[in-house]
Amino acid sequence: MSDFAIEARQLVKKFPARPGTGDKTAESSPVKRKFSLFRKREPKTLFTAVNGVDLRIERGEIFGLLGPNGAGKSTTIRMLCTLLEPTGGTAKVNGFDIVKQANDVRRSLGTVLAGERSIYWKLTGRENLEYFAALYHIPQAIAKERVDELIERMEMKERANELVEKYSTGMRQRIAIAKALLARPPILLLDEPTLGLDPQAARRVRELIAELKQEGHTILLTTHYMEEADLLSDRIGIIDTGKVIALDTPEGLKRRIEQKEVIRIEVTGWHDDLGDKLKSIAGIENLMSRRQGEADLWEVNMQAQNSRTAIPRIVEHISGNGTRLVNMNIVKPSLEDVFIHLTGKALRD
Amino acid sequence: MDTTFSQRSLGKPGFLSDLRAFWAVVHREWTIFMRYPSWIIALFIWPLIFPMMYILTARALSGPDGSGLAVFMQATGARDFIGYIIIGTTVWMWQNIVLWDVGFALRNEQMRGTLESNWLSPTWRFSYLLGHTGPQLVSMLLFITITALEFGFMFGVRLHGSPWMIGLMMLAAIPSIYGLGFAFASLVITVKEANAFVFLIRGLVMIFCGITFPVSLLPGWMQSIAQWMPQTYLIHGMRAAAFSNARIPELLPDLIPLLAFGMFWLVVGYFTFLWMERRARQTGAIGQY
Repeated sequence: MSDFAIEARQLVKKFPARPGTGDKTAESSPVKRKFSLFRKREPKTLFTAVNGVDLRIERGEIFGLLGPNGAGKSTTIRMLCTLLEPTGGTAKVNGFDIVKQANDVRRSLGTVLAGERSIYWKLTGRENLEYFAALYHIPQAIAKERVDELIERMEMKERANELVEKYSTGMRQRIAIAKALLARPPILLLDEPTLGLDPQAARRVRELIAELKQEGHTILLTTHYMEEADLLSDRIGIIDTGKVIALDTPEGLKRRIEQKEVIRIEVTGWHDDLGDKLKSIAGIENLMSRRQGEADLWEVNMQAQNSRTAIPRIVEHISGNGTRLVNMNIVKPSLEDVFIHLTGKALRD
Repeated sequence: MDTTFSQRSLGKPGFLSDLRAFWAVVHREWTIFMRYPSWIIALFIWPLIFPMMYILTARALSGPDGSGLAVFMQATGARDFIGYIIIGTTVWMWQNIVLWDVGFALRNEQMRGTLESNWLSPTWRFSYLLGHTGPQLVSMLLFITITALEFGFMFGVRLHGSPWMIGLMMLAAIPSIYGLGFAFASLVITVKEANAFVFLIRGLVMIFCGITFPVSLLPGWMQSIAQWMPQTYLIHGMRAAAFSNARIPELLPDLIPLLAFGMFWLVVGYFTFLWMERRARQTGAIGQY
C-alpha cells in the first residue's frame, strides 16, 4: 500500500472547447475535426483546466486546496474520485490507480460534491442514507445500524424522517456528509463543503471536519474561503490557472511574506485614480480594493515594504478629492495576502 | 462511533451486491413516483384522451350510417374498430412514455445533481438505468389495465382472444422498447436536449407502424420501412392475439422478429451506455447541466 493517501503526479485535464467562446486558456490542437457534410467544422481546441498538478497527501492530514473559481480545484477532485479521466499524468488514491482501479478508488472514498444537490429532495434524510448504503454494497443489517449512528451524529434525529425538500441548506449538507461517511472510507474529498451555508451551519460543518480528522480520516478539502483553509488545514496547496503555485503549512505560507506589512484602510469615495496613485508609492504593491456591502465604504489592502514611510504618503493621497479615510490598520499577513502576493489577484476575483 | 477504516465494512462486490443496489434504485424510483400525486390523473385520463381522438375521427369519417366502419373492419379483419385503435395507440403510448421516462432518466438525475453522487459509488453503473425500468414497467402495466377497463366499461370493448397471448407479445417487446430507451437515455446525457428526437421517433411509430390502420395500406416503400420497426410486429401480433384468438404458432411471424429486434436494441442500448460513460469521463458531461 502506498505511503500516501493521495498521490498525484503531473495530473493534466484538458477539455474540448470551441474557439470564440472567450476562453483565454483555450489552445489550438493540431487535431482537426472530421469532415462534415453539412458545415465546415472548426478545428478542435482544448481548454486546460488542470495543468500538471503534483500532490502528495499524507494519511490522516487535512489538505486544503485553495483557489478562486475556475482555478482547477473541482476538476482535480473530480479526477481523483474517478468522475473524470485525466488527459495526462497519474494519480493514486489509497494506493489504487484512479484509471485502472477506479472501483477500488470509489470504495476507498467518501466524496461530497455539489452539496445539497447531491441527495434526493423527494426522499427523507433516512431514505437517502439507506439508498446510498445499498449503492455502497453495505449489508442491510449493518446499513440500518450505521444510518442510525450517522443521523444521531449529524444531530438529525428529530428530522430524519422528513423529506429533504423541507430541510435547510445546512441540514442537507449534513446529510450529504453523512452519505460520504456511510462506507467508513479512509479518505474524504470535500468540495466546497460550506458553500452557501449560513455562518452557524458553516461553523458546525467545520467542527465536523475537525472531528473527522481526529478520528483519523484523510481529508482533501477544496474551498475558496481563506479563513476556513487556514483554520482546518494541516497543509495548503494554492492552485491557480490549473497549477499548484505554492504548497506548505498555513504558517509556512504566511512566512513567505512576513517581511512585508499589510496595510488595511477603509475609505469612502474610493475611485480608480486613487488606486493608481497609491500603487505609485515606492514600496507599495498588490493593492486590492473591495466594496463593503451596499454603502460607499471600501476596504483597501496593500502590501508595503515599510509602513512607516508609506503611511504618510497614503494619507496625503487620500486627503481631499471627495475621499475620506475611515480607518487604517497594519495587520498580520493572512492567507489571502499570500494568495495576492503569489497571483497578483484576490481570491474572490 | 466506530470509525474503523476497512473495506471489510463494505459488502463483497459482486452480482448479489449489484442486485441489491439495483433493487435500491427501483425502490427509490417507486417512492419518488408515488410522492408526485399527479400520476393518478395521468394514469386515468391519458388512456381515454389519446385513443378518443382517433375513435371520434373514425366515427366522423364512417358516414352518417356508419357504413365506412364496415369497410374498415372488412379491410382489417377486426371485429371491433375501437379495440383495433386502442391496441395501436397503447403501443404508441408505451414507446412514448418509455422515451420520456427511461430516456430522460439519467438526464433528470444530471439536472437534479444526483447523477454524480450515484456515479461515485462502486455499483455497476448500468443498474441506475435498469432500475428506472422497474417502476416504469409497473406503471405501464397499470396504464394498460386501466385502458382495458375504461374502454371495456364505457365502449363495451371485449377481448376475443387470450390475455396470456397478448401478455406474451408484450413480454417479447420489452427488450426492443426498453433497449431503444437505454440508447436514448445515454445519448441524451451527451446532447442534453432531446425533445426533437422524441418527437421524431414517436412520429415515425405513428406513421409507419399502423397504429390506427393496417400497414398493408401504406405504399410499398413505407411498408419496407415499417418492417424494420419492432412496434409494427408488436401491434400486429397483439391485434391477432386479442381479436383473432391467435396462438403461439400463428404469432411466431411476429414474435421472432420482435425478439431479434429486442436483442439488437438491448445490445445497442448497452453499448451506447458504455460509450456515453467513457465519453462523460473524458468530457465531464456527467456534471454539466
